Amino acid sequence: MNLRLPAVAVISAAVFLLPAGIAGQAPADVSRTARNALATKPATTWTPPRLADGRPDLIGYWSNNTATPFERPQAFAGREFLTDDEVRALERESRERTKASDFQVTQRPGEVGDYNAAFKEDSRWIVSTKRTSIITDPKDGRMPALTPEARKRFEADQEYHKQHPHDGPEGMTTIERCITWITSGPPMLPTFYNNNYHIVQTHDYVAILTEMIHDVRLIPLDGRPHGSVRQWTGDSRGHWEGDTLVVETTNFNGKRNWFGIAMTEGGGGKRPDERMRVIERFTQTAPDILLYQFTVDDPGTYTKPWSGEIPMRSTKGPLYEYACHEANYAMIDILSGARAEEREAAKGLK
Amino acid sequence: MRSKLALATLLLTAAQVWAHHSFSAEFDVKKPIHFTGVLTRVEWVNPHTWLHVDVKAADGQVTSWMLEAGTPNVLFRRGLTKGSVPVGIEVVVDGFQAKDGSPKGSARDLTFPDGRKVFLGADPGSAGAPEEDKK
Repeated sequence: MNLRLPAVAVISAAVFLLPAGIAGQAPADVSRTARNALATKPATTWTPPRLADGRPDLIGYWSNNTATPFERPQAFAGREFLTDDEVRALERESRERTKASDFQVTQRPGEVGDYNAAFKEDSRWIVSTKRTSIITDPKDGRMPALTPEARKRFEADQEYHKQHPHDGPEGMTTIERCITWITSGPPMLPTFYNNNYHIVQTHDYVAILTEMIHDVRLIPLDGRPHGSVRQWTGDSRGHWEGDTLVVETTNFNGKRNWFGIAMTEGGGGKRPDERMRVIERFTQTAPDILLYQFTVDDPGTYTKPWSGEIPMRSTKGPLYEYACHEANYAMIDILSGARAEEREAAKGLK
Repeated sequence: MRSKLALATLLLTAAQVWAHHSFSAEFDVKKPIHFTGVLTRVEWVNPHTWLHVDVKAADGQVTSWMLEAGTPNVLFRRGLTKGSVPVGIEVVVDGFQAKDGSPKGSARDLTFPDGRKVFLGADPGSAGAPEEDKK
């Protein structure tokens, strides 16, 4: 795993043995800013708050909401980082664009359109590391090529979906079926709303609640081996490496068709292989920053492993329950719409 | 540099947009809707909120429409709750009708008769804003 930690993380690791702050005893629903404000440490000697067992206290609400793209846009080809001026300009333009949309319908002529600004989160922020893409490896900031087998699988999936877009719920995305959303991962990747997480931690477990679609990953820290049950979000095991929580996830069921990579090649459809293995690293590098780094090793799908990072930011809780099946009327409407179109098409053939 | 940045901004924005479900599969682009009605019921539910609106035609016949709006979580963080859209108010709807021809539609452009946006909220830019920017 060639994950590179920023200097601040190295500094944090170097002062691992400093005494625990009182923030670790604060209630979980208090914002991290408030909790860390209690431990008034100068920025230069900042060290993460700790729980009673001495482990870094990651408990709280975190967001990976960002305007930084998953893959590096061609406009920034060959450049890993933005300048401060570029960050300011991009964030200002993004903000102005949101205002200019004035919450009007955003469809182009001939299209129903997608969400307008009122439905989305305010996502104008570039990541604090000023990276031009979430992907850090390959070095061009773009996904590695698919293996020939994965290409074949992907094209077959695409063709099937083209021929049978809405035969029934089984053929629709896990998003539309209220099973998993891009944010749940792993790797946990942002999209345009509800990019929030609640981390709860004990000596033996870390639990990560993903707001959308209300998934919880329970991650044992006691060194037990992986289980044998394949799951939508895999089977996670964690351990500490200094002040970094390292989580390894295997036993994916291989059925997910939305995986972050959907931003490439025009949308969803790519399924990871069952053999996929994901390594995640969580390191608090500042009072309001939880650096999230990941590497995906999926030899059945990609020609080489790929890595990325997002400095997650502290956010306010609690999370509003995202009970997706509460009223997923859209599923009914999409299927009944498809049946109506088929009836119309049949009339035309007569 | 500005044009290059503008292009990059477009790319950044485009990269993030993916709906929970396909609006084009649910609603018919050939059936735009535009009407004024009275809010009769609010379903503040996941994955999307739905508003029920009674629309009276010129002949006095009333049609009850169901209109799909935003995810309640985003609206909640924008300062909006079920109580922000009280039953009985008059709203103007612009959107598209469901493909199956039923009185359902998208309600992405929802205004009061005076032109104010129903879902503008207390702070239109707040949903998902990081904590430090909300101070």
